[in-house]
Amino acid sequence: MGLKGYLHDIWEAVATTAKGMRITARYGVDPRETITLQYPEERWEPSERFRGFLHNDIKRCTSCTMCVKVCPVDCISLESVRGADKKLVLASYDINIGRCMYCGLCVEVCPPKSLTHTSGYEKATVTRGELILHFVPEDAEEIKARVAKQVAEAAAKAEAEKSAKAEAPPMGWPAPVFAAGNPGAGADAEKKPAREQKGEPANREEPPKEGGERTE
Amino acid sequence: MMESLAVSLVNAVPALSGVPLWTMTLLVMVVVAAVVLTFALLYAGLATYVERKVAGDIQARIGPNRVGPLGLLQFLADGIKLLLKEDIIPAKADRFLFALAPYLVFIGSFAAFVVVPFGVGLIASDLNIGVYYVMAISSLVVVGVMLAGWSSNNKWALLGGMRAAAQIVSYEVPVGMALLPAVLIAGSLSLQDIVRSQGGLLGIFGWNLFHNPFTFVSFFLYYTAALAETNRTPFDIPEAESELVSGYHVEYSGIRFAFFFLAEYGDMFVVSALATACFLGGWHVPFLDAEALPVAWGNLFSLGVFLAKALGLVLLMMWIRWTLPRLRVDQLMRMSWKYLVPITFFNLLGVSLWLLVFHGKGIPRMIASLFG
Repeated sequence: MGLKGYLHDIWEAVATTAKGMRITARYGVDPRETITLQYPEERWEPSERFRGFLHNDIKRCTSCTMCVKVCPVDCISLESVRGADKKLVLASYDINIGRCMYCGLCVEVCPPKSLTHTSGYEKATVTRGELILHFVPEDAEEIKARVAKQVAEAAAKAEAEKSAKAEAPPMGWPAPVFAAGNPGAGADAEKKPAREQKGEPANREEPPKEGGERTE
Repeated sequence: MMESLAVSLVNAVPALSGVPLWTMTLLVMVVVAAVVLTFALLYAGLATYVERKVAGDIQARIGPNRVGPLGLLQFLADGIKLLLKEDIIPAKADRFLFALAPYLVFIGSFAAFVVVPFGVGLIASDLNIGVYYVMAISSLVVVGVMLAGWSSNNKWALLGGMRAAAQIVSYEVPVGMALLPAVLIAGSLSLQDIVRSQGGLLGIFGWNLFHNPFTFVSFFLYYTAALAETNRTPFDIPEAESELVSGYHVEYSGIRFAFFFLAEYGDMFVVSALATACFLGGWHVPFLDAEALPVAWGNLFSLGVFLAKALGLVLLMMWIRWTLPRLRVDQLMRMSWKYLVPITFFNLLGVSLWLLVFHGKGIPRMIASLFG
């Protein structure tokens, strides 16, 4: 490197620095260049297909557990019981939104389209427990007890009707009760549901229970 | 200086006549020290705010605007946050040196405020070796930075400390050499004398900056080298957050980190103040003789002018920081030893010859004498 190259380097350094500083000065003095969004006061409109927090419309939910099965991070837990009308009754439906990765598989797979993404994305909590969203307002145990009671009542009624049909029952005859949770009766009832109208014993544990065990 | 102030105070207030002189002198010293330190801390706080605003403007953002009007109280919030943070000392660190390092850096940076000539009579102590004092005391920063890097027992911190030492020691040479032309012209190392030598009714043309072509170049050389000495961005390889996380102060938190932070901003001001005093006419008010004015007005004007010049240079540093990318280690060393050092030596020679040939006259003065 001769003297010419040496001086050229110096010139290069000075000229490029000046050029760069001219550019930053232009941005520095021009207030129109500001692109900052003053977040709490103004915010972007989320796109139509934005995957925000999940919401489950429990009136439409059929407790099919498809969402529980498809969730890659196991953030959804679901508990249901077989009701008196043989439909599944949702006892609890929790989503740990802190664990959710917003892949949207559960929404895609939901048959009654009750599970949806909302546009919500703001949630700050003091404890991690608060990040679990509960969609069934009532206590799961209460619902289970209530449904069990309904089922037991329905079973008792059906039995009473049956025995009345068979041999005009004497007054005060104690109706034979299919004890709640009797596995034999439950298995039997499942095999021939058509014959035993409304004779379903209560508290038949459904497979969805497995999801329920994952609650944190 | 302090003694004369104490004497005049005793003369002015009869009630103090019984107090021994050394007590009064000590009292005056403590008060002056407190005032200078308060100024330094306030400046450092506001400089962090301005730095963030400048960064925001240049990057098309807004910067702090939430705490207080226009975000002006942001630095108070930051300070309180740093005070309340947990003071962590790594388990394997050398506890004594780890605790000592931030204070050394802080002292090295703020002790230089002693000789900063804020105004006609506003200088904490007009040392007759002012320029050397600044260079010597600010070298204490190297020791602190090295200690911080070593005592943290962290590879990033150690690398950062080593780099800082190499860089600051390298750039001491061009910094000193670039300041010498001003010393030569004034014939004194005292900063007040250097500022006085740039006076006269020539206004800004009395400045050393326009004395001759060599001093003009010298100013920019000094500013560049000083920028490297403060470890600011184009030369911030000791911190280098993208490669060394944040260099020698990785392990520091809370108030200890705040000391490093304040020292950096203190350094920026000292460097700018020195550049102002040596090349930009110091506290000289253009087209006005501050020393001939009444004492109060003269000091006020000169203080304002000095602060405007020095803070302008600090602003320029921020502008440079948010414009230029970081140099590599080898580029940094090459710049110091192959460019700045030879050119400053050449400049020193040029200024010496100029003073010899033209009997100490600068170009503006020669032009003025042409027109009588």
